[in-house]
Amino acid sequence: MPEPIDVVEALLFASETPVEADRIQEVLDLGSAGEARELVRTLAGRLDGQGRALQIIEVGGGYRLVTRPDVAPWLVKLARSRTRSRLSRSALETLAIVAYRQPVSRPDIDAVRGVNSEAVLDNLLDRRMIRIAGRKDSPGRPFLYETTRDFLVAFGLRDLTDLPKVEGELAIPETPPAEVEGSGAPADTAESTPATDSPQQDPGAGGAGVTTGG
Amino acid sequence: MTGPALTPDTEPQGLTVRVESFVGPLDLLLHLCRTNEVDLANLPIRTITEQYLAHLESVQFQDLESAGAFMVMAATLIYLKSKLLLPVDPDAPPETLDEEGELLRQELADRLREYARVKALGTWLGEREAEQALLYGRTVAELPPPEDVPLEDLSVHLLPRAMTRLIEEQKRQAPRQVEPNPLSVLERMGEILELLRHTWSLLFSSVAGAERMRTEWVVTLLALLELVRLGQARVHQAELFGDIVIESGPAPGAAPSPPPDTTSQEDDPIPGDSAHA
Repeated sequence: MPEPIDVVEALLFASETPVEADRIQEVLDLGSAGEARELVRTLAGRLDGQGRALQIIEVGGGYRLVTRPDVAPWLVKLARSRTRSRLSRSALETLAIVAYRQPVSRPDIDAVRGVNSEAVLDNLLDRRMIRIAGRKDSPGRPFLYETTRDFLVAFGLRDLTDLPKVEGELAIPETPPAEVEGSGAPADTAESTPATDSPQQDPGAGGAGVTTGG
Repeated sequence: MTGPALTPDTEPQGLTVRVESFVGPLDLLLHLCRTNEVDLANLPIRTITEQYLAHLESVQFQDLESAGAFMVMAATLIYLKSKLLLPVDPDAPPETLDEEGELLRQELADRLREYARVKALGTWLGEREAEQALLYGRTVAELPPPEDVPLEDLSVHLLPRAMTRLIEEQKRQAPRQVEPNPLSVLERMGEILELLRHTWSLLFSSVAGAERMRTEWVVTLLALLELVRLGQARVHQAELFGDIVIESGPAPGAAPSPPPDTTSQEDDPIPGDSAHA
């Protein structure tokens, strides 16, 4: 009879998407999601303690079993391919706008970037970094875009509150009513005011020689 | 997040030539402001406009639309600069604009600041992406797909793509007409001679093909008879309807074929009257 912790390891190994604490609770028939989290934490500690090549990371509202970064060179060799396709600068900037302003329409994105973003958005849709959230109630009824879970996974973010906080019109969107706070999660500090609490994280003000005038 | 990561434009001032392309007019403008170390709050229109226009010549436009975006910015800057040339109040300090111009400049500065943040966030995301690229996890599970499809990450956008894929698939699977190569006695003779160069003997069936296509068998037989007539091959058949054994070289004499044409056989092994099947 395998121990629950071993089952958790198997779940994380076999799943292609991050496994939420709720899901683990459901599969293992545990009392609470907190119990599931505790199991994952123990497992993560065990992997760390044994110096294994695998580790558990928390992304996209769930847990993933992935390799450690220091074994990456051998995996590259195994794959016989040097590069994993990366996003262009335009794509990353567009993604940043969508992430902070979602749901956001293309005209609004264009206004911030100063250029047409149609092709970039298509690319991001293809890579499933963003999805269409609906239509905006404005002339032309443009599509509204929002980020996906794949986006969180690709960038190693637990949820949108993991994004750095900035001033200005880019405010971190409210965390969707997700499983994060669902069942007795430890006191959550995600509610803190976005503008005031971490000026050192403001990349605008940190730019070279650029002062943020009032 | 670290300091240097967010300030990608810290290269020394002066004779720096950036070959890197700018992703938009704001990108270029921001670059100019940073290399000049100017305060975005009071944008020096005169200097910036001149430099912007100078840079415009070296910018590689991806398409007409992005070129247009650069031009719109150029027009705005030139408009602002033209206002400076006609000062409202002769006693006012330089770089003073009228109300409309000041609003425009303010708006420009705001947009630049906003873009600067977006750019920095893009850099931050790029670093995250690079970090995450070193972690390898499962992307395709061997678990059977769930009975109910999760709808959370689906989007209307995927429908036309699925449709296109289906159409492409249909196209690929449609039956195609394959044109057979017309058989030629001449070519078949060449093939048999080529085979005989490497082996002592051949079976007729192996040359004619296992598919037993009538035309192929006829052509092969004609080719073989022609070779025998020319003394290039010998044939014998052990029994009626049995396989024919082909050997190289002229018949020793008892061959059923007519005697070889001694004058021309060496020079011209292939006759001119090649028949096509």
